[in-house]
Amino acid sequence: MIKKKKVIDEIYIPDVGSQVETIDGKEYLITNDAMYTFFRRTKGEFSAFFLALKNEKRLLGCKCTKCGIVRVPPFLTHCPDCNFAPTELIEVEQVGIMNSTPPITYFATSLFQHMAPYGRGRVIFKGADTAMSINLYTTTGILVPGIIKKGTEVKLIFRDERIGEMTDVFCVPTAELTQEKINKNGLQESEIDWETPQEPSLPVASEEDSNQYRKALDEMKDLIEDMNRNESVRKAIAGWKRDIQVKTRGGQFAIMIDDGDIKLTESVLSSPDFIMVCDDINALLDGLAYRGAITDSVINKKIWISKNMEFNTIFKLDRMARFLVRSKKV
Amino acid sequence: MSKKVGIVGAGVTPFKGTWREKTYYELAQMATREAVKDANIPIQDVDAAFYAIYNDIFERTAIPEHAIHGLLGMQNKFGIRITNGGATGAYTMSAAHAYLAAGRFKTALVLGVEKATDCFDFSSMSATPEVIKAIGWSGDSFFEQPIGWTASDSYAEVVLAYLDEHPGDLKAEITAQISAQLSQQVRSNNYAQRQFDQVTPEEVMNSRLVVYPFKELEICVYSEGAAALIMAEEETAKAISRNSGNPVVWITGVGEANEHSFAGKNQKDMSRIMSDYYASHRAYEMAGIKDPTKTINIVELHDAFVHQLEISMAEFGLVPLGNADSLIEDGLMTPGGKYVVNPCGGLIYCGHPVGASNIMSAWSARNELIKRGLKTALVHGTGSTVAQYTACLIFEHG
Repeated sequence: MIKKKKVIDEIYIPDVGSQVETIDGKEYLITNDAMYTFFRRTKGEFSAFFLALKNEKRLLGCKCTKCGIVRVPPFLTHCPDCNFAPTELIEVEQVGIMNSTPPITYFATSLFQHMAPYGRGRVIFKGADTAMSINLYTTTGILVPGIIKKGTEVKLIFRDERIGEMTDVFCVPTAELTQEKINKNGLQESEIDWETPQEPSLPVASEEDSNQYRKALDEMKDLIEDMNRNESVRKAIAGWKRDIQVKTRGGQFAIMIDDGDIKLTESVLSSPDFIMVCDDINALLDGLAYRGAITDSVINKKIWISKNMEFNTIFKLDRMARFLVRSKKV
Repeated sequence: MSKKVGIVGAGVTPFKGTWREKTYYELAQMATREAVKDANIPIQDVDAAFYAIYNDIFERTAIPEHAIHGLLGMQNKFGIRITNGGATGAYTMSAAHAYLAAGRFKTALVLGVEKATDCFDFSSMSATPEVIKAIGWSGDSFFEQPIGWTASDSYAEVVLAYLDEHPGDLKAEITAQISAQLSQQVRSNNYAQRQFDQVTPEEVMNSRLVVYPFKELEICVYSEGAAALIMAEEETAKAISRNSGNPVVWITGVGEANEHSFAGKNQKDMSRIMSDYYASHRAYEMAGIKDPTKTINIVELHDAFVHQLEISMAEFGLVPLGNADSLIEDGLMTPGGKYVVNPCGGLIYCGHPVGASNIMSAWSARNELIKRGLKTALVHGTGSTVAQYTACLIFEHG
């Protein structure tokens, strides 16, 4: 029997339980809890739009029968600009232009960590007068600023598995596609060549590289010991466990995080949770020393990580660096 | 003829990242106790309550104000809750003003309260992702929630669209300087969440990207806390003032506007915050202000993001659109400059318990007008998706 996917993944659901926090000698009871309501929710007048995405791979808008304005998505049935003249559904093209430069989310909520980093922006599809909010990706790896901007032409892509939601579609720049693919209606994600992130190879270290590596590694060890002794820093990784293999030009080492503890060992792990590669160890050291964010180094490709989902751990490392500096000030 | 309305008392709780010791019931009462004490009146003399509470999920209760109405001593009296995203507090002050100006009541309690960090993400063992998710339910549920809409990426859309039109403005080194300046200003605010979190512009620039283009130290923190005002119509305000010894700070102008939440033809112009423009100019008109650059002394604005602070100041007409960086480059908001901007440290450093935030801004504007002997302040709240909602108020003293 095929196990069906749940609306809420079990990893988000806490166990029944509670804990006590003591503040200024008084005890406070903190209980695991949830506020939840399930739905069988109708898409109502939007049903035609979502069914067209799901079953027909078509993009619909609504056109005012009086002024002719075409709104995509078709979020109304009567046009308020024309004192509620009726609209009718029409199909629009699957290529459009970015209405403005889209933001890119790196630090996502618990629901979207699997998608990060992602762009979400507004596209005016050909035939439409208004912009539709949609996820944006690049086929060339992590989405970084500059790839998609105001005016960039993008193509609507359909997920292979569709359920009748906005997540059934996303866009990529047409500059990354062949003309044949750009012209095809109903183009699916499996028809696109996605660049698979390859672990970068590192050059052979010179004697000077090795010396600089040792010096930086010693500084990093001291920093990590400082972090281990700091209450605020330890709190930032409470309940978090990750084994990270770090590879640099000068050598490799492991950083292990375990529920408040962090340590660095000069070892090769048999099955790390993820791999971090940086040609220059100082890219990581500067981040841990709060001389620049590790997140930015990943975005700027000074640091490579094997799993995008581990942005979560990267954020924790950035947070630890900040807490350490802040606690020394206070 | 509508009555003049003034603020006769105010109180805030400390704003904290988490108030483990208090539920929102007690936070609400704490701020209210301080406000009536400041006005030197018993709560029994307050005719009506206006509650500013943004998000039911934060309080884990739909109709969250129903429980606190009685424990504030307001049973059997008028009570209404306003929720307008980040502009909740400003809109609540606007509502109270309208009822008082119309003569419906003589006195009103305006109370903002918010929890937030009881929300907890058990997959990452931290609160922030779950707080952001709770706010994420505010996005359009059919077309935007499913694709990762957040408050940050929503405001980032507006900022990036502004930068598309004005690429030379909102320079990284300027936004960093503004953040650093706010962190200095917060030092004198004993109620601030980050009172001792002073940062340099370099530290701001080194902080990590959260949503491009926003860096961590350019974004308001999420907080828990409460803030309350006692407002009164003219004659009652003067009587309360004589009794308390505190001068009345008059609300002479109010303006509001909510934009379209979708972009494109006849809808929202993403490169502008027209709600800020319309709301501020409507407030100026009501207050009889012809040229705000000659009249406004203090600005307590809702700085969800430093970039948005700059755009809002331009939409208020206090700096040119496209040259908001003149706030720093021409010394307009630097110490000793023309405008005192967010002396409380702003939402970025004082904190942002959403429903209470704009009321805290009002508390600060009132204090600063009196302390500095200045005449006119602009208080502002922005909120909802794509900076859609704004309410602005003009305060006058002396």
